[in-house]
Amino acid sequence: MKAMIIDDEPPARRELRRLLTDFSWVEVIGEAGNVEHAAAMIESLAPELIFLDIQMPGGSGFDLLTRLVHLPQVIFTTAYDEHAVRAFEVDALDYLLKPIDPARLAEALGRVKSARTTQTPQRDAVLEKIFVRDGARCWFVPLREVSLLSSEGNYIRLSWGKSKPLLGRALAALEQRLDPNRFFRANRRQIINLDFIENVELGVNGRLHAQLRGGPEVEISRRQARLFKTKMSI
Amino acid sequence: MNDASLAAQQTKSRQLYWILQIAGWSFYTLLRIFGAATIAHVPWGKSALELTIFGAAGLAISHWLRTFMRRHKWADLSIPKLATRIVIAALIVAIPLGIATQMTDVSAMQDVGPELRKYAPALSVNMSVTIKILAQIANWTALYVIWLAIYFAVVGLRGYRTARLKQSETARALQLAELRLLKSQLNPHFLFNALNTVRSLIADNPERAQSAVTRLANTLRYTLSSRQDELVTLSQELAIVSDYLELESMRFEDRLRVESHVPDSVAGMHIPVMLLQTLVENAIKHGIAELPAGGLLRISAVLQDEVLILEVENPRPPARIPTAREGVGLRNARDRLRLLFGDRATLELDLSKAAVATARLRIPRQQ
Repeated sequence: MKAMIIDDEPPARRELRRLLTDFSWVEVIGEAGNVEHAAAMIESLAPELIFLDIQMPGGSGFDLLTRLVHLPQVIFTTAYDEHAVRAFEVDALDYLLKPIDPARLAEALGRVKSARTTQTPQRDAVLEKIFVRDGARCWFVPLREVSLLSSEGNYIRLSWGKSKPLLGRALAALEQRLDPNRFFRANRRQIINLDFIENVELGVNGRLHAQLRGGPEVEISRRQARLFKTKMSI
Repeated sequence: MNDASLAAQQTKSRQLYWILQIAGWSFYTLLRIFGAATIAHVPWGKSALELTIFGAAGLAISHWLRTFMRRHKWADLSIPKLATRIVIAALIVAIPLGIATQMTDVSAMQDVGPELRKYAPALSVNMSVTIKILAQIANWTALYVIWLAIYFAVVGLRGYRTARLKQSETARALQLAELRLLKSQLNPHFLFNALNTVRSLIADNPERAQSAVTRLANTLRYTLSSRQDELVTLSQELAIVSDYLELESMRFEDRLRVESHVPDSVAGMHIPVMLLQTLVENAIKHGIAELPAGGLLRISAVLQDEVLILEVENPRPPARIPTAREGVGLRNARDRLRLLFGDRATLELDLSKAAVATARLRIPRQQ
C-alpha cells in the first residue's frame, strides 16, 4: 500500500518512517512538510493512505483534506489536538498521538487494511466520499447520501440529510469526478442524485420538475430534459 | 460562598433562633407553673394564666432586645465590653418586669406558711416591699443574663464556623488559580512534540537525544518551580529560553533561526519569571510554526532611561485573518505585569510592520 507522511517537523517524519519499516506492506512513497506541497504530491502520486499532522504551516490538516480531489485513507497524527480529531462525526478515520505507540500504529494500520479490501481507490475512479468542513465541524461525506449539489459562486452547497455543508470547489470541477450513473446535471446550477428522485412532473412551461426525497423540487433545463428522459427511460 | 447557600444558612439560623426561644421560654414557664402549684399551692388555672402572660412578655422583650443588639452590632464587640452591656441590658429590662411581678398575686413574694418556714428559714418573711421588688428584679436580671449568654454563645460559634468555612474556600480558590497558571505555563503542545523529537533522536543521534532530555528537564523544572510573583535576572531567564529554543530547533531544524542581542550590562537586571519565555513561545507558535519556510526569531534588550526594553521579533505569516483576540499567554503576561508593577511596566504587540511582529516589553529598573 502506497502511503505518504505529511508533517512539518522532520524528526517526526523520520520517526514515523522508522516505525513503518515494521510493516512491509506499507510503502512510504513521499513526505511533505506543508499543505501546499502535500496537496500537489497527493494529486501526482495518488497514495492510498496518508499520515496527516493537524497543525502545520500554511493551513491545517483539515484544510488540506478540503482541497483534495483524490481522497486517500487518512490517519491523523497529532501531539495534542486529540480533541480536534474527536470532534469528528465519522468513524472512517483514525488518529495517533505523538510520540506514537507502535502497538497503536499496528492497530490503526490493521483497520486500514480491512477497509482496503472493501474499497480499492483507483486513480480515476469516481468519487465515493468527500471531505467537508463547515465551521468547526468536519465530515467524510459519502456521496451516495448527497441528494443535491447546488452551485453558490465558487462554492458547492451539499444537501446531505439535515446538514447543508459548503464545499470550497466549483461545481464543474467536481462534476467530472461524480458517478455518471448516479448524478445528473439538472440545470446550470444544480446536480441531482437520481436515487433521490421521488417523482417527475411536467410543468406548464413544458419543463420537467424533479421532486427530491426530503428535499426541494429541482427544475430540469430544456437542454437536459431530453437526456434525462433517455436516462430514466421515460 | 454563593448567595443561595448564604440565604439557606440564614433561613436555618432563623429557624434555630425561634426553636430555642419558644422551647426555652415554654420550659421556664412550665417549671414556674409547676412550682407555684405544688410549693405555693396556687390554683393551677390561675398560675397557668398569669405565668404564661409573664413568659410571653419575657419572650417578646428578649426578641426586642435581640433586634436592638443586632442593629447596634453587639456581636462585634470585645468580650469585656459585651459582658458589661449584657449586665446593664438585663438590669434595664428586669426593672419593669420585676415591679410587675411583685404587683401580681401568684408571682408576688408572699409570706410563706409556717410549715415551709420550718424547712427553709431563709424564705421568710417580713421583708419590706422594696426588698421584695429588688429580689424580683434580681431574679429577672439573672434570667436575662443567662438568656444573653446563651444567645451570644450560639452567635459566636456560628460566626467562627462561617469564618473557618470561608477560609478553606479561599484557600481552595487560590489553589485552583495556581493550578490554572501552571497549566497555562506547561505548554502541552510543546511538551509532546519535544518528546516525539527525543524519540526520533534516540535512533538518529543518541548524543543529541541526551542533550535534548537534559534541556527538556531544565525547561520543565524552571516552569514548575517558578511562582507567579517571582523575579529573576535576565541572564537566568535567557538560559532557559536558550534551552527551549535549542529543543525547538531540533523540531523545526533549518526553519528556525535565532539571533540574540543582549548586552552584558543588562544581563543582571530583574524581570518577572517566565515572561520572556512566554513571548518567545508565542513567536514560535504564531510566527515560525505557521510559515512553511520558517524564519528568524530575534531577541534584543536595551536599557533606556532606567527602563529595560525587551523585544522579541518574529516573521508574520502572510494574509491571515487578523485575530482580534489576544492569546492567553499574552493576556496572562499583562495581568502579571500589572500586579507586579502597576502601570509602570508595559507589554505591547507591535504589528505596524507587514512582515514582522514585535512583542515589546518595558520594565523599570528594579532596585
